[in-house]
Amino acid sequence: MSETTERRRARLPLRDIVLMVMLGVVFGFLYWALVQAWNGLAVAMGPAGDLAQHVLLGGWLLVAPIAVAIIRKPFVGIIAEVIASVVEVVFLGSPVGPLLLVAAAIQGAGSELPFALTRYRRFGWGVYALSGVLGAGLVFVWSAFRFDWYGQDILALRLGLQLVSGLVLGGLLAKVIVDRLHGTGVLDEFAIGRAAAAGRGPVVRRER
Amino acid sequence: MTAVDPRPGPQAPSLLARRNPTVKAAILLAASLATLGFLDPRPLLVLWALAVVAVLAAARLPVRTLLLGQVPFVVFGVGLVAINALSRPGTPVVPGAPVSVEGLTIGVALALRGLVIGVLTIGFLASTPPRDLMVSLVQHARLSPRYAYSVLAGHRMLAAMPARWATIRAAHAVRAPLRRGRPRFGLPDAGRAAFALLVTSIRSAERIALALESRGLGEGPRTVWRPVPIGRADVVLVLVVVAAWAGAAVLGVRLG
Repeated sequence: MSETTERRRARLPLRDIVLMVMLGVVFGFLYWALVQAWNGLAVAMGPAGDLAQHVLLGGWLLVAPIAVAIIRKPFVGIIAEVIASVVEVVFLGSPVGPLLLVAAAIQGAGSELPFALTRYRRFGWGVYALSGVLGAGLVFVWSAFRFDWYGQDILALRLGLQLVSGLVLGGLLAKVIVDRLHGTGVLDEFAIGRAAAAGRGPVVRRER
Repeated sequence: MTAVDPRPGPQAPSLLARRNPTVKAAILLAASLATLGFLDPRPLLVLWALAVVAVLAAARLPVRTLLLGQVPFVVFGVGLVAINALSRPGTPVVPGAPVSVEGLTIGVALALRGLVIGVLTIGFLASTPPRDLMVSLVQHARLSPRYAYSVLAGHRMLAAMPARWATIRAAHAVRAPLRRGRPRFGLPDAGRAAFALLVTSIRSAERIALALESRGLGEGPRTVWRPVPIGRADVVLVLVVVAAWAGAAVLGVRLG
């Protein structure tokens, strides 16, 4: 009996799973719209287009820190990123193909690590910033292997662009989005909303 | 909105469409990873040609669909060739030119890797309806139905996204200041619309979760409606793909 309740507690509630899927769907759709505009620009820029993509890299990391900050449970960042990549590959036909799943798992792990180190208790600017840097940094190792960047002259430039992009777009922007979402009240039923409600303390009833 | 339409044609499903989706997905991932082992353009060219013929024959895909599907990979590949040719040190193609032989070779190999993975992905998507993939993953890969049905619900939501976006844009445009007689739509406006889309989607995510829960998802064992078969032909498919990749590897070693 106690074992089943224990196992049930470890499972994610359906509400959290659907939220992760929805984050993947919304960001997948927005990226898809962005990529349509982006492809033309990348062709026009020629070789510089390959570099310019690094500037926007941080945007791909957003789903993991947002999901972790809202749901506040282990492995949520990785699961959310992988679901988002499934949406992009299977439903939207992303040109990266199935290797996007591997990249997503790696960057999800990188983005989640700083939150995990605080045991999902601290959500300040510093943790988000570190999350963006680590997500970008881990996935850089994988991309560098995939595209054989190690032999190129511009390896350091690539790394620098990606880390800064991860810090700003994949870290700090995530905090801005989460805080604004929290402000609208849609997150009240999730862990982030419950934590805020607990922090406010019980509602004091006025005695008549 | 999907890149390739997975609807079956009027005739019987193609050879590839009758294979098990979990097996196909595993092959796709494994073959893509194995492609990363090649840095010589010649075996990659052979693999690409084999993959094109196989997908055209086994998935019964129109040539035009396949070519159109390859366009993003070619675009990406051109960028890869250009940057590698310019940024990699080595012997120049023409004395004094900034383009090196080594860079050009690696660039072409990287572009071909992308093309090989692209053909396989197109073949997979064209022969695999999302519903069958998810049911098969529940049956054969022990994926929790809670995740499978949530992702399928997400598939429906994705189809509704363009309409939602249009509604939000219309609502914002009514109140937007005019610029040259038309409502303004700059980057901040796009950000506002994207945020509104995110908020409404999270609201509907909660409603969907309630709806799925009220249909008994997440409690106890489940039966599957219209199960997806798995059989001996799937083993043959695995063997064929393994043989092709092994052959390409041998070719790569022979060529040096």
